[in-house]
Amino acid sequence: MTLRGNPEGFATLVERYDRAVYHLAYRTLQDVEEARDATQEAFFKAFRSLRTFKPDAKFSTWIFAITYHACCDRLNRRRRYTSNELPDRADTAPGPEQQAIALDEAVRLRTAIDALPEKYRTVVTLFHLQGRQYEEIATVLGLPIGTVKTHLFRAKEQLRRLLGGAEVTES
Amino acid sequence: MNMHENDALDQAILGLPLEEPPAGLRASVLLATAYRPAPAFSFLDLAGLGALGAVALWLVVLLVMGGGSLFVETLGAIGVGLTRAFSNAPTVAWLAAGGATALWLSLFTGSQPVIAAPHRSGRRTSR
Repeated sequence: MTLRGNPEGFATLVERYDRAVYHLAYRTLQDVEEARDATQEAFFKAFRSLRTFKPDAKFSTWIFAITYHACCDRLNRRRRYTSNELPDRADTAPGPEQQAIALDEAVRLRTAIDALPEKYRTVVTLFHLQGRQYEEIATVLGLPIGTVKTHLFRAKEQLRRLLGGAEVTES
Repeated sequence: MNMHENDALDQAILGLPLEEPPAGLRASVLLATAYRPAPAFSFLDLAGLGALGAVALWLVVLLVMGGGSLFVETLGAIGVGLTRAFSNAPTVAWLAAGGATALWLSLFTGSQPVIAAPHRSGRRTSR
């Protein structure tokens, strides 16, 4: 699809990927408003940079990479403007209501993913979005494919530990 | 499902539902990108209008300063100059070469070439 000068084509892509892009932003930033802003920023940057998009490349990989960089910028800003170390929101103890719904397998898994360190959480989120296309994940993150596989392996190890009740540690 | 097995964990991750985006996110993204209202005037329109305005202002100043004769003389001089320039083959050739080069470069630099400007009149306006 030729995107340049084709607003309808870009609109179709927005409709196809907005949910996945928002998911990546939300999972990375863990904040609804920031995820919303990062999603808008990513699509806006993509729209303005259509001329740099290679026609033989995958749009999903490209838009995920832009989203990931937008999220990294926001995380860096967050760290810069916060004097104290940010609390890991996902590590807060769940309330009684959350404990009740945690019986649900998907909720348990999602909570466990949220509790992962940022670098592992992003790899798992991209694995969720892209499947076993490690090369695509590596392109999005700008990491060697071996590093992606290692991160994913360690993330899954930590997930298994978390789902089994053990504590998570950054490695 | 036993999530302690690798395949089961993979399947569980891949099967997670995506986050539900906030209401209105898609509309605001589309309005900021694909369905952004076209500006009333393009850069070329503005440049043309500016040039016309400058010429008109200059002619008005001539009329005010020198009366009708100076105005007529100046218009005549402009006409003679333009006729001389466009009847000169090398001048026309250089102008054509410059125009063609500008158009060709615009295809590579991302600015919208005049002949390939997107047609927006048929786009959807309500979403």
